[in-house]
Amino acid sequence: MSLEEPTPEDGAVEVLPTTGDEIAELLGDLVVDREEHVNAPGFVIRPDTVQETLRRLRDEAGFDHLSCVTAEEREDRYESIYHLTSFDDRQREASVIVPTTKDDPVSESAEPVFRTADWHEREAYDLIGIDYDDHPDLRRILLPDTWQGHPLSQNYDQDRPQIVTLKEWENPLADDHREEEGDTMYVNIGPHHPATHGVLHVKTVLDGEQVADVDPDIGYLHRCEEQMCQTKTYRHQIMPYPDRWDYASSGLLNEWAYARAAEDLNDIEVPEYAQIIRTMGAEFCRIASHMLAVGTFALDVYGDFTAIFMYAMRDREKVQSVLEELTGQRMMFNYFRLGGVVWDLPEPREDFFEMIRDYLDELPQAVEEYHDLITSNEILQARTIDTGVLPPEVAKSYGATGPVARGSGIDYDLRRDDPYGYYDELEWDVITEDGCDNFSRLLVRLREVEESAKIIEQCLDLLEDWPEDERNIQANVPRTLRPDDDTEIYRAVEAAKGELGIYIRADGTEKPGRFKIRSPCFSNLQTLPEMSTGEYIPDMVASLGSLDIVLGEVDR
Amino acid sequence: MVPLQSQVLLPERIAGLLGLSGTVGQIVGGLLGAFLIANLLLVQTAIAGPWAKRKITAAFTDRIAVNRIGPFGLLTIVTDAVRLLSKELVIPEGVDRPAYDLGPLLVPFSALLGFAVIPMGNGIHLADPETGAVFAFAASSIASLGLVMMGYASNNKYSLLGGLRAIASNIAYEIPLIVTAASVIIFTGTLQMSEIVAQQTEPLLSIAGVTIPQWFAFVNPFAFVLFVIANLAEVGRNPFDVPEAPTEIVAGYQTEYSSVYFVLIYLGEFIHIFLGGALAATLFLGGPAGPFLPGFVWFLIKIWGFYLFTQWARSAIPRLRVDQFLDVGWKGMLVLSFANLVLTAVIVGVIA
Repeated sequence: MSLEEPTPEDGAVEVLPTTGDEIAELLGDLVVDREEHVNAPGFVIRPDTVQETLRRLRDEAGFDHLSCVTAEEREDRYESIYHLTSFDDRQREASVIVPTTKDDPVSESAEPVFRTADWHEREAYDLIGIDYDDHPDLRRILLPDTWQGHPLSQNYDQDRPQIVTLKEWENPLADDHREEEGDTMYVNIGPHHPATHGVLHVKTVLDGEQVADVDPDIGYLHRCEEQMCQTKTYRHQIMPYPDRWDYASSGLLNEWAYARAAEDLNDIEVPEYAQIIRTMGAEFCRIASHMLAVGTFALDVYGDFTAIFMYAMRDREKVQSVLEELTGQRMMFNYFRLGGVVWDLPEPREDFFEMIRDYLDELPQAVEEYHDLITSNEILQARTIDTGVLPPEVAKSYGATGPVARGSGIDYDLRRDDPYGYYDELEWDVITEDGCDNFSRLLVRLREVEESAKIIEQCLDLLEDWPEDERNIQANVPRTLRPDDDTEIYRAVEAAKGELGIYIRADGTEKPGRFKIRSPCFSNLQTLPEMSTGEYIPDMVASLGSLDIVLGEVDR
Repeated sequence: MVPLQSQVLLPERIAGLLGLSGTVGQIVGGLLGAFLIANLLLVQTAIAGPWAKRKITAAFTDRIAVNRIGPFGLLTIVTDAVRLLSKELVIPEGVDRPAYDLGPLLVPFSALLGFAVIPMGNGIHLADPETGAVFAFAASSIASLGLVMMGYASNNKYSLLGGLRAIASNIAYEIPLIVTAASVIIFTGTLQMSEIVAQQTEPLLSIAGVTIPQWFAFVNPFAFVLFVIANLAEVGRNPFDVPEAPTEIVAGYQTEYSSVYFVLIYLGEFIHIFLGGALAATLFLGGPAGPFLPGFVWFLIKIWGFYLFTQWARSAIPRLRVDQFLDVGWKGMLVLSFANLVLTAVIVGVIA
């Protein structure tokens, strides 16, 4: 698999349509109305032309990344929004808006064009109640099958019993699908299993020791995070929630996702000094998160709580100590504020800088230790190379991002491609590996730790020399934020696991009208069946570990 | 020089001490001797399981481990025994009852049976039949039966997978194990354990006044390495812990066992490790032989050395995938062990 995938129109070096008018011209009659989102032009289309529109945008305009699908019930209509962008140029964005009528909310599925739409549309069906025509498998995804009604729809009655028993729900006339002479065996891996990294349930069909079919069943940790954010005010109340999405030490990265979306929505400029602190803190979170990923991946392959897991936890503890100094917390930081961060670096600053310098001095040796213990081990290589293969086209179609995409050779990193914070001022590289297998994903994480250390070091240099009277940690932000009615924005940041996007529709009040989280783990987990069908159970477990999912973020 | 191997076996000596003779003496001496040796091993296991294993793993992973109760946390052994035995014995629905109960009994007892023929030095030797080596391997193989009973009777898919894997691994690695042991038998010309040990006391060579004995690990290091690796697979430790594989199939054949049954399986595993060490010691390391210390102490040092080795492997080496595991067994170990056997036979044939 090489990076030299020919783009659809490789011969003709024509400029791809980017502005709203150019895209509208390309789509022609398909567009029935135009909208303007803060991040991208929006095109309203009819519900039966979804596939045609998306296919044309993908093939002729290079929009090959369906980042997110947001669904919502409005006063007069149901609406699905497809947030499109491009792996080659993240700053080209387009929103495709598909309204459907209230009495018959049926819309064409985008799954045949973008496979990632499978789960996103299932979620929309589950929570809002839009039916997607031509969808291969429109089941509930987050809620149990026996749930009654769609909780984010407007006429949902919370006082009614929400779940019926399986017995009442089951069709008594349904056939028993078990074969008398079948060669396969159905195994429930999870929701309580040593290798599922949380409450994930993988419905697995085994043929001997080999995996014949895999179906991840999620939703055990669904905590209505989106709806909770909709009931809180922009200014202060939402910020604690992102810490709880990917709680495995990427708190600041998640906070940044909300901060970025809300700041762009409200036109807030963040002072440079605060951006540097944010960048540094976020990279510490990335290191902590990757350490945990490497440790648990080794745990999945090695099989016991061995030295590597303990070493990784030890190095993560050091990062957490730094973060505790900075934010006052080890996991649930709540450190960012709209327009900056909550407080300046801890005093005495010299001690804090020295603590970080010490950490950075030790880090290369620690990473070398991991290479000694893990990546150069022949048995580990035999276990991970050429297993869990995820070709780049498949990864793109599933909307895989972060180390999973970069392990498949996709050169895509929002920190560089859609710069925010202080990243574009610093010297660092986007890591890619072309192996497309479990080993590549492991390598990408280990190498990214080194890049993060580079970023931190440069931030540190800047912070040390920053003049004392210019340490501006927060912009002047009004106490109450009321973005204009019907402004919509979709903004993403590069979290530890990939592209973490937030869609906010303002409704003129101090609370979001719709708050949607695009979780990288959610999209990455979708690739599991692709990677592990036909392989052995241990490889399936290793692939799951290499995806580095956190169920808190998958289920939200 | 005190003979390392007293010709009087333990049952006879006990009978002599009690002043019994004839059939009564044999029965009483045999029972008491077996009782003593079984308890000796259970004590080793008690130290190894709840205490030493934790301490060793902790040392490998930069931790401290049990240190709360008693000196060095040693009384943890008592509290753990009480804890494990007082747990509820959960017996799942639909298990195949006699097999489900017998499996956990077979595992430790098969390993204990193997110790009957192991010479432990200072006259601690229960029986010394002419077919001693074969008996030890045969007895330890009964454990496979226990594993398949547990896996099949538990009515659990993970247990079933674990049982199947256990059988596959036992078959794949027992052949190289026994074939390698056979290369030692070719040297000795006898299966009798006391004779195998006695032959290893002969000097191999003398360097600067230090006499190196003719331990088969020195005579044929290649066979020793093969034997230790195959043994590692026999006792199911990394990189060969495929039958249990906690992150894949939860706990394999022992998934559905709790309380006393769990303890029995655990005991069985540890006694198996010690039996593996005892066989390696007897066949390759001169049995209880060693300088200065009494033979029995050397024997304990050797089996604990092997135990330490299994724990080291467990902490440091990744687990192989099940197909790679079988590949190594059938395509690697088997071929090498037969090559070793043929080579040994040729060399012994030429020299003798």
